[in-house]
Amino acid sequence: MLFESFTDVVPSFFGWLNQGPMTLTIFLHTLVILPMFWIYQSEKKKLNSK
Amino acid sequence: MANKNVSVWSSISFWRRSAAWVTGFAAILLVWLTFDSVGQISMGTDADLQKAVAEKKETRRVPAPTVINYKIGYAMDAKRGHEVPTIGEKELFFGKEWSEKDAAALLHLGKLTSQAKNCMDCHTLLGNGAYYAPDLTKAWLDPNWEKFMYFGQKTKEEGIAYFLQHPAKSGVHTRKMPNLGITAEEAKGLVAFLKHMSSIDTNGFPRNFSKTVNQFKTGGSNAH
Amino acid sequence: MLTSIKTNHFEGNKSKELGMMYFRVAMILFGAQLLFGLVAAFQFIFPGFLFEVLDFSVARMVHINALVVWMLYAMIGSVYFLMPDETGVETVNIGLGKLAFWVLTAAVTVVVLVFILVQVGPGTESSIWLINEGREYLEAPRWADIGIVVVVLTFYWNVFATFMKAKVKTGVMQVLVADLMALAGLYLAGMFFTDNISMDQYWWWWVIHLWVEATWEVFVGALAAYALIKIIGAKREIVEMWLWIEVLMLFGSGILGLGHHYFWIGTPEYWWEIGALFSALEPVPLVAMFVHVLYDWGKEQGAAHARGETGSIMKNGPAMSWIVLNAFGNFLGAGIWGFFHTLPQVNIYTHGTQFTAAHGHLAFFGAYATILVGMMYMGIQNAYGIKIMKATFKSKMGVFLIAFGVMGMTIALTIAGYEQVLIERAELGAGWNAFFTAQNMPWYVQAQLWRAIMGVVTFVGFIYLVWDMLTIGKAQAGQTEN
Repeated sequence: MLFESFTDVVPSFFGWLNQGPMTLTIFLHTLVILPMFWIYQSEKKKLNSK
Repeated sequence: MANKNVSVWSSISFWRRSAAWVTGFAAILLVWLTFDSVGQISMGTDADLQKAVAEKKETRRVPAPTVINYKIGYAMDAKRGHEVPTIGEKELFFGKEWSEKDAAALLHLGKLTSQAKNCMDCHTLLGNGAYYAPDLTKAWLDPNWEKFMYFGQKTKEEGIAYFLQHPAKSGVHTRKMPNLGITAEEAKGLVAFLKHMSSIDTNGFPRNFSKTVNQFKTGGSNAH
Repeated sequence: MLTSIKTNHFEGNKSKELGMMYFRVAMILFGAQLLFGLVAAFQFIFPGFLFEVLDFSVARMVHINALVVWMLYAMIGSVYFLMPDETGVETVNIGLGKLAFWVLTAAVTVVVLVFILVQVGPGTESSIWLINEGREYLEAPRWADIGIVVVVLTFYWNVFATFMKAKVKTGVMQVLVADLMALAGLYLAGMFFTDNISMDQYWWWWVIHLWVEATWEVFVGALAAYALIKIIGAKREIVEMWLWIEVLMLFGSGILGLGHHYFWIGTPEYWWEIGALFSALEPVPLVAMFVHVLYDWGKEQGAAHARGETGSIMKNGPAMSWIVLNAFGNFLGAGIWGFFHTLPQVNIYTHGTQFTAAHGHLAFFGAYATILVGMMYMGIQNAYGIKIMKATFKSKMGVFLIAFGVMGMTIALTIAGYEQVLIERAELGAGWNAFFTAQNMPWYVQAQLWRAIMGVVTFVGFIYLVWDMLTIGKAQAGQTEN
């Protein structure tokens, strides 16, 4: 079963994201990594204009 | 003029900015998570506890000190897939029911004593500490207290308090607990601290503890 | 090493002198750590040994506190040592640094004496303030906590002011200045009392984890960068680029990796997956550091050969051997042994067993002890003005016996932990009876015996190390100066 029922004792935002195997952690990892694409593009632009 | 061969991957500036972003954002997430977790693990009140017992619902993860007035168990929860502490009917603790204020004072004494006597550098508490002596997370629920007939005392709490004051005399292994000069009052406090700790929702740690109780009663085997 | 201050080879560099003062105390505390560790190891085999005289709790408390404090000393010493090279200016307030050194050393002496002689107190606030805080690793009483904070603040001010004076702000210094601020600030999270054991453990891990699995690791990355530039002449641009990648990965995985301590202490279930996946990535930067050190070494050596130079490019043989050992040890001890039990599905059985002790031994040694000893060798080389310092027989015996001994202890404790997991946790489900059944199994007892033997091997190696540190400078100073 990919999506399990909510089992945390106290409902919370993070508990709500924790809906199945790895949903919460993959979400957080993505949040951490994604802006690096923007940093990459901006650095590339900077290097190219030199 | 655009240079097609520039490599961002070997640019110090790219890695420095990325490091700053990742570190800063991870720290912000941790602070946010901490607000959420600290809210969930702060100690409940007696009112919370009474309501939870009346409605037969789970109480807060860390219940009020007055939890020492109740029978505590540790049972498998089918929905969560592991054992959780259960809070049952009322039972006397050291022969009386403790008011909210007195229970809190007793727990305070017990927690202070647990630190002043440095329990954690032999035992583990919630699994953290040294590994020279048994884990104390669910020590209140240990079937061994019954096996040793509470060291001649009438109740479990009195038996544990007696053991804490005369550990070397009561020990049965060559590895014994030393005499730490624990007074009768401090021993009461420590037992309250242990009973309170056993009521904390530890997400099923240690596993199978309650199963062992049943196995233990049948001589330590699976045969019933 | 003892005479290094008198020999005055620092050519007037007071900051490096101050660094050596910290190194010396660090080595004394390192010795105390090993001695008390041996006492605790023997108590596993002979429970009556020093019973009610110097109990296991006392021996173990001194063992782990001496460990943390000697590492902090060596870390402060390393910063004072490398700062003149990295900033190009003299450290701004050496007098204050020396005062802080003596205050800290006096405080540490009093704390250790109270630990050994008074040991425990009554269950009152004053015990927490004066004798023992009773929280693993943070046992230092509250008065000492406050003292440590004051001393660390003066140290940090010294570092920060020197950094601000520097014309060129190197990457190594940028990382150190930011990292040390976090490191010092985190200590505050461990300085309050609460009746709530879950809350207590929550903040306790903020100090312990965010030190050893985040800020200390970044500190090691900065030290390794400095050492590679100094010892093998690695290019600064490449080393510092690696350093930023390491910071990214160490903090990226390590900060939320804190979650792997929040599986079972009363905290919500969502920490299972946060802790699991973030901490599972913690070994990645350690692999990167490992590759980086060995790659740079090979590359610089190859470049030297291409230039027609013969022989090794290492300017400091013993320091380099400890730094390479750091690359291995950090990856093995912190990375592999940590990953072994970082997933909640595994950790529910391994949490609070000798598995943790096995990981702790190899990780503290591999990640921190090694590189700090390497820094001390660089200090000796500098103190005696040695251009190329070569490993002696004693240096080799030191590094070999200590590495062999710690690895042996780790393997023995892993076996003990494995047995404990199967018997105490999986089969008997924890509890008093389960614990002692597992502790008395022959293979567990044998493993503890091997741990004690390997502890003795480590101690013999330590004697070689100290002997070498006391003699290598003088022996080689004359040879290279002519």
